[in-house]
Amino acid sequence: MLDIKNLQSRIGGTEILRGLSLHVDAGEIHAIMGPNGSGKSTLAQVVAGHQDHEVTGGSVTFKGVDLLELEPEERAREGIFLGFQYPVEIPGVNNAYLLKAALNARRKHQGLDEIDAFEFLKLAKEKMAMLGMDPKFLNRGVNEGFSGGEKKRNEILQMAILEPELAILDETDSGLDIDALKAVAEGVNSLRDPDRAIILVTHYQRLLDYIEPDFVHVLSAGRIIKSGDKSLAFELEEKGYDWVREAANG
Amino acid sequence: MMRLPTDKLQAIVDRLPTTRDEDWKYTDLSRAREITSRWLDAGGATVAAEIAEDIARITASIDADWFVIANGELRLPDEIPNVTAARVNAAPTAENALAELNTALLLDGLRVRIDGTPAKPVGILLIDGAADAATSQSYVDVEFAAHSSGELIEYHVSLGATDHYANGVVRIAVGDNASARHVRIQDRDLNHVQTGITHVSVGRDAKFSSAGFDLGGGLVRNDILIDIANPGADISFDGLYLAGDGQHIDNHTRVDHRVGPAISRQEYRGILNGKCRCVWNGKAIVHEGADGTDADQANHNLLLSEKAEIDAKPELEIYTDDVKCSHGTTVGQLDETSLFYLRTRGLDQGHATRVLMHAFAAGLVSRIPVEAAKATVGELVEARLAVLINTDEDFS
Ligand SMILES: Nc1ncnc2c1ncn2[C@@H]1O[C@H](COP(=O)(O)OP(=O)(O)OP(=O)(O)O)[C@@H](O)[C@H]1O
Ligand SMILES: [Mg+2]
Repeated sequence: MLDIKNLQSRIGGTEILRGLSLHVDAGEIHAIMGPNGSGKSTLAQVVAGHQDHEVTGGSVTFKGVDLLELEPEERAREGIFLGFQYPVEIPGVNNAYLLKAALNARRKHQGLDEIDAFEFLKLAKEKMAMLGMDPKFLNRGVNEGFSGGEKKRNEILQMAILEPELAILDETDSGLDIDALKAVAEGVNSLRDPDRAIILVTHYQRLLDYIEPDFVHVLSAGRIIKSGDKSLAFELEEKGYDWVREAANG
Repeated sequence: MMRLPTDKLQAIVDRLPTTRDEDWKYTDLSRAREITSRWLDAGGATVAAEIAEDIARITASIDADWFVIANGELRLPDEIPNVTAARVNAAPTAENALAELNTALLLDGLRVRIDGTPAKPVGILLIDGAADAATSQSYVDVEFAAHSSGELIEYHVSLGATDHYANGVVRIAVGDNASARHVRIQDRDLNHVQTGITHVSVGRDAKFSSAGFDLGGGLVRNDILIDIANPGADISFDGLYLAGDGQHIDNHTRVDHRVGPAISRQEYRGILNGKCRCVWNGKAIVHEGADGTDADQANHNLLLSEKAEIDAKPELEIYTDDVKCSHGTTVGQLDETSLFYLRTRGLDQGHATRVLMHAFAAGLVSRIPVEAAKATVGELVEARLAVLINTDEDFS
């Protein structure tokens, strides 16, 4: 589904991704861990199409399509969703408005009619109930004044409504209390499907207790230096990153 | 009251500010002078156009107790609990030519006193609609009594294809421990001129929150002068201007912090498209001894056309040590991170841009201090924005 080969990127003249390769098939859940500043968010943003990142080499294909040729909105309509590490506050834009506009943009691309107001409300409320969100959040400004955890839940709400084929969740678990973590995990697990894939960027092995990954990768200095199964996350928790770095360099 | 002879009136008109005056550098009142002279030459009488339906429509759009000043003539409503109103004939002494003109040509002034907590906002509709070119004056003096909590809406409208110049003076006095919430809506036709000065004084521990919305008008100049002479004042005011082809909108603000502690915050936002010019000049003066002053001013502008011009100038004068002052002005573009966020949700660049422009304006609507005016102001802002950025989308 997603094929990243030898990807290299720069921002503000600094090289960040330095030959990163990753292959994700439908039905899989991948976890990406790695030290601060190693390039995890950069990877997520390059895949989503952030223009500040200059791709200097390598390729990214999604369902066989060259992703790097597409605008961010085209990637979204193709079925890619990025859950932001720092969701953006947009006062003055209704949460419900954005959800509906996003859903309709995707539906239009799929050749479907726009969703009617009644159906949308039903869908939104159903997903909010699953995530333990008060329906009042629909009428608030997008992330406006939301707590850190509420913002993350809101990202998951958007994902649950859009039902992307590939969701990249950048530290969606950071700053969540235990109930929120469970709600987020439920949202992610509800999306689990043989036709979909999920990439979780996380610092904590704890998330993986709730969402079982098929693969765990370690990203360091712009490259994936080790991949393994779930047990790698435990090993990292125990031994830190130096251990992998040394092994990779040695 | 006898009106001054025409030559005396014309002499006042000739003394109106010009672009040689520092405070009027960017705003040329030639059109106001010309319209007034023409009107005086024609006898200085105003023949009202048919505006009864407009009055009915506008006063029905916001649930308030309305006073109507049509072409300068006041209609007093029936009695309103907690609101005392009177017709006043002479405005207090004039301090400059605009105020002099106001005094000299005023037909009806309005004085209102608010006690306790009135059930509804006091609405003042200042509407002009004349058969021929005309000039009109308004004078409104509102006192919020000590410990009162009230709301005031000023709604300035002018209609019709004939030239019009409206000149107004507003005085707002907020008593000790009173809370005053104020909204000014200006939705004049694009061929009309308006100058207006608002004086605000606040008592001890008084609160004044205000928001102004300039949606129309060809040439508009608003002055708001806030005088803090008692400690504990908490003042905030917002302004939104949406300007398109042929518009000139100038907001001059001045806050005098004479004593502390006191807070003043202002935020003006503008969206400009087409050949137009806007001015924001925010002056804050922290006088000697006004310790504990906290003054903040911000002005943000979105320029959507190369022909649009903005002159933004914060001016801080600080004559004491124990103060917290900040100011920020931006002219430019939409926030890139927000644009990217929306695009990752599937909204194309154009759509995302429109959504953010809507948000930029709606942000000030959503915190409007008079709740009763929110829906109508929201609709007016959306309608103006739709024309300005050429969309018919419903962002609700
Ligand atoms: N605009 C920029 N200019 C220069 N360097 C940048 C810019 N944006 C990001 N970087 C750098 O890119 C590197 C990778 O950042 P990135 O956000 O991808 O890290 P991360 O792995 O997500 O870290 P964290 O775990 O802290 O979220 C960092 O060293 C960061 O400082
Ligand atoms: Mg990151």
